[in-house]
Amino acid sequence: MLARLPTQPQALVEVSDLRIGVERSGRKPLVLVDTATFGIARGEMTGLIGESGSGKTMVCRALIGTLRQRGAGVLSGRIRLGDLDLARADEALWRKIRGRRIGYVPQSALAGLNPVMTIGAQLAEAIAQSDAGSRGDTHVRARELLDVVRIRRPDVVLGQRSHQLSGGMRQRVMIACAIASNPELIVADEPTTGLDVTVQAEITALLRRIRAEMGVAILLVSHDLALIDEVCDRVVVMHAGACVESGRVEDVARPRHPYTRALNRSRIELAAPGGELVTIVGQPPSVGAWPRGCRFAARCDIAQRDCNEGDHPPLVTVAGDHRTACRYATRMVS
Amino acid sequence: MSGAPLLAAENISVAFGAGARLLLAVRNVSLAVDPGEAVGIVGESGSGKSTLARVLAGLQLPTEGVARYRGRAIFEGESAYPGAMRREVQMVFQDPYGSLNPRMTALAAVAEACRFHERCSAAAARERAVTLLADMGIGVGDAVKKPRQLSGGQRQRTSVARALAARPSLLIADEPTSAIDQSAQAQLLNLFNRLRSGGLAIVLVSHDLAVIRYLCTRVHVMHEGEFVESGETYDVFERPRHAYTQALIASIPGRTRRTAATVSGTNRE
Repeated sequence: MLARLPTQPQALVEVSDLRIGVERSGRKPLVLVDTATFGIARGEMTGLIGESGSGKTMVCRALIGTLRQRGAGVLSGRIRLGDLDLARADEALWRKIRGRRIGYVPQSALAGLNPVMTIGAQLAEAIAQSDAGSRGDTHVRARELLDVVRIRRPDVVLGQRSHQLSGGMRQRVMIACAIASNPELIVADEPTTGLDVTVQAEITALLRRIRAEMGVAILLVSHDLALIDEVCDRVVVMHAGACVESGRVEDVARPRHPYTRALNRSRIELAAPGGELVTIVGQPPSVGAWPRGCRFAARCDIAQRDCNEGDHPPLVTVAGDHRTACRYATRMVS
Repeated sequence: MSGAPLLAAENISVAFGAGARLLLAVRNVSLAVDPGEAVGIVGESGSGKSTLARVLAGLQLPTEGVARYRGRAIFEGESAYPGAMRREVQMVFQDPYGSLNPRMTALAAVAEACRFHERCSAAAARERAVTLLADMGIGVGDAVKKPRQLSGGQRQRTSVARALAARPSLLIADEPTSAIDQSAQAQLLNLFNRLRSGGLAIVLVSHDLAVIRYLCTRVHVMHEGEFVESGETYDVFERPRHAYTQALIASIPGRTRRTAATVSGTNRE
């Protein structure tokens, strides 16, 4: 029942066979992502999950056109947005996309905000970038945006600088900047990591509300399965630079890739106190030292000898748009 | 067990600054840790939990109150844990990068601690370090790596191995799981659980309620320097009384999970 994946006709963004790497003079490029294939549906919240080093941040950077700042670039593959292929976009095109059609919320709001500019000035910049910037009063729009992200006393906050705000407030401001241009997609890279538990819950609730009210699609990158489980419609699982499973959250809850299953089983919040926790053996292979075949094989409990041969297995359809990159996915049923 | 607590802290307060700038980081908290018991301190940033951990580890002199280890005050004047007490209480931190020498291999770092505490030969220290690291799931192949070549989980387990070189009776861990991936967290918690079963008492400071719930039998919820709720972990999680604890527990993602049953129950081979 496994077939090559069909493309999703309704997807807002389609990432297909995306390879990301660093060019090196006289040598083959150092490959960081190989390969990423997934779709982001309009108005949906899609979770992107994986261990550190799995390539999820590189995929985010590819979606907002900032790979070059890290010395990396797209080696091959496509990122389709409407009739554009962002994988080949130059900086001039990115200036029309980034902050306009695709907004970005970084992990640490300190990194995203300019410490010497007031919040008002930074929001004005975000508004000026958008088409709405030409219409109406920037100050009124800035207040409106702070209102959307539920910041009280907006007039005070507009005159403040980032260091005067708490971590949660800074992240709210970043979200306000990201939605200033009514984007079609917001890429949020670990937006709640490092925040307090109660603040995390507030930011998550805010993202959900924005998605519902504005109909914007959100790509939520996280290493927190519980969070993705709770708020996302779909999930994409990455391991060692490859997408290994994707689908609707309720479908992926019955994993068809051994890595996803292992991640699920090692969840601490679902374990009995003091019981033996399930761990994934070994480490993910390092960039530049990926083995042949499936890159999870060495850590896998159902691996066969031929898992170590050939290319990394491509994604195949399990059912509907539930996909797995495991050749032996059928062995996980029943 | 003698019945007496291993560590008892009474009415601890810590103030920073003075006058109008006085900040009470810890306000009049008391706790006891029995031998072989895991006690959790949960709170958010700025709650004072790390300051309290530093007091218990002897790194921060309290402004008021007294902490006793096996009945003896841990602070004598400015110095903490005098004499043989020193090695019995060890601490691990959130960021093992900050506590491991970047130029030293994991093996050398642990061997150095063995040598310091055991006053044994270099060869004997090395042999013990190999065993300690192997117990932490770090084989010889990884033991000869330097911190930056290790994964976050391996670095954290190296710093635990180094703490164990002193053969402590009490381990104080400040956010040990916060900087590592989920599977590495599970590995570290399995390890803590095993050590605790072997008689090591643990004070676990964390903002992560799942980690506390898994390991600790008793928990103190800290908010703005105070313990707002204390009790058996199960009771505090199932029937939180204080409004802050209730808010904290309500914030755990996954409580409105749509797929709970399928995650842990099905999909077995």
